[in-house]
Amino acid sequence: MKTRAIQYVVLIGVAAVFLGPLYWLLSTAFKQPTQIYQWPPAWWPHLTWENFSLAWKAAPFDRFFLNSTIITVIGTALKVVNAVLTAYAFAYLRFPFKKILFFAVLGAMMVPGHVTLLPNYLTVATLGWINTYAGLIIPGIGSAFATFLMRQHFLTLPTEVTDAAAVDGAGHLRTLWRVVLPMSRPMLITVVVITAVEEWNNFVWPLIVTNTASMRTLPVGLLILKDEEGLAAWGTIMAGTLLVLAPMLLIFLVAQRYIVGGITAGALKG
Amino acid sequence: MSMRRRTFLGVTAALGLAGCGYRSVDAIYSQPAGEVPSKYEKRTRVVFWSPYGGVNGKAVDKLVAKFNDSQSDVYVEVQFQGSYDDVAQKVAAALVAKQAPDLAVLSDVTWERFFLNEALEPLNGYFNDGFGPGVYQQKLFGEYVVKGQSWAVPFARSTPIMYYNRDAFAKAGLPDRVPRTWSELRSWVPELAKVQSGGRSLRTIAFAKIDGDWQFQGNVWQFGGAYSKGLDVTIDEAGAVAAGEWQREMVHELGAAYMASSPSTDFANGLVGVIQESTGGMKTITNKAKFKVGAGFIPSEVAAGIATGGGGIGMLRNISAERKQAAATFLQFLATPENSAWWTTQTGYLPVVNKAREDVELKKLIAEQPNYGVAIAQLENARQQDAIRLYGRNANVQIYTGLQQIYADNAQPKKVFASVARRLEAIGDEVQRLYEEKVL
Repeated sequence: MKTRAIQYVVLIGVAAVFLGPLYWLLSTAFKQPTQIYQWPPAWWPHLTWENFSLAWKAAPFDRFFLNSTIITVIGTALKVVNAVLTAYAFAYLRFPFKKILFFAVLGAMMVPGHVTLLPNYLTVATLGWINTYAGLIIPGIGSAFATFLMRQHFLTLPTEVTDAAAVDGAGHLRTLWRVVLPMSRPMLITVVVITAVEEWNNFVWPLIVTNTASMRTLPVGLLILKDEEGLAAWGTIMAGTLLVLAPMLLIFLVAQRYIVGGITAGALKG
Repeated sequence: MSMRRRTFLGVTAALGLAGCGYRSVDAIYSQPAGEVPSKYEKRTRVVFWSPYGGVNGKAVDKLVAKFNDSQSDVYVEVQFQGSYDDVAQKVAAALVAKQAPDLAVLSDVTWERFFLNEALEPLNGYFNDGFGPGVYQQKLFGEYVVKGQSWAVPFARSTPIMYYNRDAFAKAGLPDRVPRTWSELRSWVPELAKVQSGGRSLRTIAFAKIDGDWQFQGNVWQFGGAYSKGLDVTIDEAGAVAAGEWQREMVHELGAAYMASSPSTDFANGLVGVIQESTGGMKTITNKAKFKVGAGFIPSEVAAGIATGGGGIGMLRNISAERKQAAATFLQFLATPENSAWWTTQTGYLPVVNKAREDVELKKLIAEQPNYGVAIAQLENARQQDAIRLYGRNANVQIYTGLQQIYADNAQPKKVFASVARRLEAIGDEVQRLYEEKVL
């Protein structure tokens, strides 16, 4: 009984650590300025939607939403297709230097993103892609991490199934589409969600390659909002943050049961 | 996010280095893309990169709109790029990409880098009766003149001034004015601490976490020191150490001061009695504060001395002659007394044009709100900063990270500034050759 109670105290403590800031963000977004600076703090806001309309007006958020959506959808699609095809090749095809090439992919995973920033920027600039969707999306479509995750998962699939497919005359694409992918659904969803969140939250790259408000994305928009409203308008900033956060939070909530399955799948070989 | 931003700054600083390596100084680069409303389509387009958001940003937009409607040849497009540092990094990155905005607002510590790397267009050739040396306030104009040639013109120039919470001062029983010396401010600590604000006792002063080295430049002078003489670093000598020690004691011995991410936000929310902040924050602070805001000169100690700062506008060199001419007409427009005075009334920045001081609207504003006149009166004590902060790449970052150690970790100023001095010396060595060649 006693240990039970302690367990609950610890659980509540940990939950408070994780949920506290989120709750603060949520409630501040609905508070009036005077309430935000109140001491002792007001835990329950007098609901107001004013912050959202202020945030929406302070920066062209509709445009940012559109840009972020375009970049996330196209970027994620290209990245995942790329990763799945590459992973399939590494898992099932026989070709020369396969091991070396795979190590090269692994090596790419170890390179911090900031190192590639400069060469990528120069390439994109030479192509004339500064301030374009191509410039925003294309440099990010190769993902070593996604490729690695998919390949590792493909290797855990029983070879009997793919062999059977081959005996039945299925080509590579059909095997991939009809056999391998359906068996990898949790991992695929994991990769899609991780990639989408990454694309959506990406900050540094869009900041560098865009010059005008019409091409900027939500995370950069938040920065603008902070610069615009910096002084004392925390409600507005939190409202903007919530707008940026909400779609990813939704996707994550919907997909989370697959994600947990996906990351642990392949941890044990049955 | 701030970590990632720093990294970004670092990376683009590297870009800037790479950029000056193979950039041909007279190549003509393309213009950054944007949108031109159809009614301005046939005009020469000028891209203007600005760091002003909020109240000040809206004032820039209005000035530009007024310009666009005042004539029929040039269309200026403002593109907001973030902070002063962000603008500088974006320009450096753009040059690497063989793009160049036509005009950019460069801060007191960033224009020098573009000047040294020959990225700025010399402006003397564009001067006329309404635009040039005789028009601008001499001191502010002179800061951009090197060996007789102008490399930028003053626009949103400022000095720090001291803002104080008049209501809190009245409650504390203090005189309705800023302190004359830092020692006097220190003697007011107990009275200010008696005032309750936001559920606890009022702190006397807040120091800036980022970029506080600008205000500290003045503080060092006031305590009889300097960051450097020429490029010879002197921040580890007596005056600067005394200034640092005064601030350390305020934070750690008296508990009357602290390091704030945004002192002006805290001040406007009534959490702190006084701050040293740019005159360019006047309008914003006055709008947001729910109490009577007072302003006055920055206190002295053994000497008076205030650092000028803020932004000037530079024209990029790698643009076509047509774009240069068009950009110059916009600079001329900003140099009219009327527009300069209007900008001051909207923001609190110094009037950079002499005749702007005689503008009726500005005079009326100063008569009604004397705060707006403080910076103008204080300009007499203001001077250009020590060379190491102006010309040393990221010297400002080295100094304010040193200050952070004093505010946050109770580090001894003598030790902190000794190690800052070593890094500044390295920074100075890096720029020494160019400095001697182009500036001295």
